[in-house]
Amino acid sequence: MAAKSSSEGERLDSHELERFETVVLPHLDAAYTLARYLTRNDHDAEDVVQDAYLRALKYFGGFRGEDSSARAWVLAIVRNTAYTWRRRQHSDTLGTEFNEELHSDAVADEHPEATLLKRDAGESLTRALDQLPIEFREVIVLRELEGLSYKEISDVAGVPVGTVMSRLSRARQRLQEALCAAEEC
Amino acid sequence: MSHPNFESQLDAYLDGELAAVDARELEAHVAQCRECMEFRDRRLALRVAIKARVPTFQASDVLRQRVRAPMRKPSMVGSRPRPWRSLAIAASLAVVALGTWQLAARRSAGEALAGDVFTSHVRSLMPGGGHLTDVLSSDQHTVKPWFNGKLDYSPPVYDFAGRGYPLLGGRLDYVGGRSVAALVYGRRQHVINVVLWPSARGGDLGPTTQTRQGYHLLHWNTPAYAYWVVSDLGLTELREFSRLLQQADSAAP
Repeated sequence: MAAKSSSEGERLDSHELERFETVVLPHLDAAYTLARYLTRNDHDAEDVVQDAYLRALKYFGGFRGEDSSARAWVLAIVRNTAYTWRRRQHSDTLGTEFNEELHSDAVADEHPEATLLKRDAGESLTRALDQLPIEFREVIVLRELEGLSYKEISDVAGVPVGTVMSRLSRARQRLQEALCAAEEC
Repeated sequence: MSHPNFESQLDAYLDGELAAVDARELEAHVAQCRECMEFRDRRLALRVAIKARVPTFQASDVLRQRVRAPMRKPSMVGSRPRPWRSLAIAASLAVVALGTWQLAARRSAGEALAGDVFTSHVRSLMPGGGHLTDVLSSDQHTVKPWFNGKLDYSPPVYDFAGRGYPLLGGRLDYVGGRSVAALVYGRRQHVINVVLWPSARGGDLGPTTQTRQGYHLLHWNTPAYAYWVVSDLGLTELREFSRLLQQADSAAP
């Protein structure tokens, strides 16, 4: 058992490959949606997903969870791959760690009211989501679009459930303000 | 309950993630706090907006192939390419297309109505082109009068927020060749559309249930109205919601 090599994925037998196909592949759209919102462009999202699935295939032999937990499992890999990709892209900002207090209210680098008013409300909402710090964006996508539980989000993002809860709340507040600005509510 | 914690608590509550004890405490607080009630309604509206307008994406065929490629490699040795596979897919697509066409040809009036209601629901959630509500309010006394002058009937409007099915608003829609009232209710992140119009068919035991593309449709007739309820909500909860509607209707003067 000690000698489980990192290349064990290449030795998945046909039964395991079949299981990978029925348990992990169906979440490809979910994986792509998450990657798309984390990278904010199609091309990079495809690269991230391809890379993530390669990793998933490689480590699938070690996946001992229930089939129902495969979705959160593969989304965690996609999320980590996207973060790695992002660090490579923005290696110059690597020193700036996300700080809950500092960043959550300070990121509005343009005035949403001014730029969003003329836009369609749907577009403005997606745009507002794209402008959120990545730590806020991911909890919204995982909750609202992928329907993960707080516990699953906490596993995927690697933060306590309490943090998931407060990030979700602050992220929604920001989206709400953008929506209000666009619809003059 | 103190307000500083309230926002994330209420979010957790709406997400169905709050422990039962805390949830009861919160409900009691919201019931007598106007500010919190408004906060809840804004959050529900946001949820509806996200659901309706923020898109999910589909992996392209190219990506699908790229992801699958390394899976095939180990077993490629000794296995033949399988051109029949694409042929089989084409054949099954043809069967599906034929099936759909035959179904359409055999469609009864009832099925056409169900189709209209289903389309109305899907359209209401569509990003961009669709719209969910013409009148966005959780107040039944705002939603009901909004229909005055827009329809030749005044639909009964209830709020089941206390039971976890808050009213979100209403809109005019077009079903079965006439203008109808569509009332929008919420349940966690799910949207429920209630479409109703006057019908002289009399009450029945209903509801009857059908499922289309993952959406459930429930239908029944009261002595006054034909009711359709449609949502992606689980069937158990959608039945519970329909019972609330039926009870409210039979209790109405």
